[in-house]
Amino acid sequence: MNTPTPGASSAHAAALTAEYAAIWAYGPIGVRLTGPAQEAARDAEATHRRRRDDLVLHLTDAGASLPADQAGYALPFPVTDEASALRLAVAVEERTAGFWQAAVAATSGAERERALAALVDCAVRATRWRRTAGITPLTTSFPGRTA
Amino acid sequence: MVLTWTVMGKTTQPDPLPDRTMRHSRRKVLRVGALLTLGSAVPSLTGCDPFNQEPTPPDPLAPMVDEALALAATYRDAATTHPTLAGRLAPIAEAHAAHAAELARITKVALPSATPTTSTPADADADATLTGLREREQTAGDSAARACLAAPAGRAALLASIAAARASHLEALQ
Repeated sequence: MNTPTPGASSAHAAALTAEYAAIWAYGPIGVRLTGPAQEAARDAEATHRRRRDDLVLHLTDAGASLPADQAGYALPFPVTDEASALRLAVAVEERTAGFWQAAVAATSGAERERALAALVDCAVRATRWRRTAGITPLTTSFPGRTA
Repeated sequence: MVLTWTVMGKTTQPDPLPDRTMRHSRRKVLRVGALLTLGSAVPSLTGCDPFNQEPTPPDPLAPMVDEALALAATYRDAATTHPTLAGRLAPIAEAHAAHAAELARITKVALPSATPTTSTPADADADATLTGLREREQTAGDSAARACLAAPAGRAALLASIAAARASHLEALQ
């Protein structure tokens, strides 16, 4: 394993806050969805939980301080129906992608590989959610980059 | 404390490409180029040419500029051949062109103004076209991921984003 650098630790801590928020957001998203979309939300939530757990272990091993999870997170818009739930799922994946892109630049070796895999996963899930929501285009040119 | 969406996003997003110095160095390259042109016309009196140095090795990312341009052209051709797919393919062509522009910027490679002729002609069958595009995307995604893992920190974020874009193209072509 690579020696963690302060830059890597703070990027990982930031990614952890994004994963906390993503896990929280999939709660209100899931209850507005049914069938395969609800399954996809469960799968996405499980992936974010797995990444959260990995980050907690990794930061603890590195002796870095863990950011605290919050009781709730302010959503960018109210989730009132299936359409808004799907839009939020797109937003969650896009936003989380940004934190992992920052982690790519702050890491090297196996850590960078993991950050890249997370960024790729977020980008692919965002594309799937756009397709489910009927949002076009299905892709963005630079996943992770904030507009 | 409830953290708002936008605040969290903004505070932790460093500029992925903080390379203002490149403009200066490009100017310098142009100036050196002009001197070289002059130098070649004037015979050296001493036999010691101060400009006759080892050429700089090519940037390892330079081939990725051509790769991205070729992909953009291939998608444009496919969209022309299969208008029913154009809605899906045109945004992907634009993304590849945008990647080429960014890669050219960081590698200081001049983008050709004409459309490259290296595009693969689209198959008359739409399914075969999509299969071909998926294969190209998979290969290109792998090459971007490899480049990302080998790149210095200043370039890794862009290459990661390109790798993620290519993976999402693959998903959009399913």
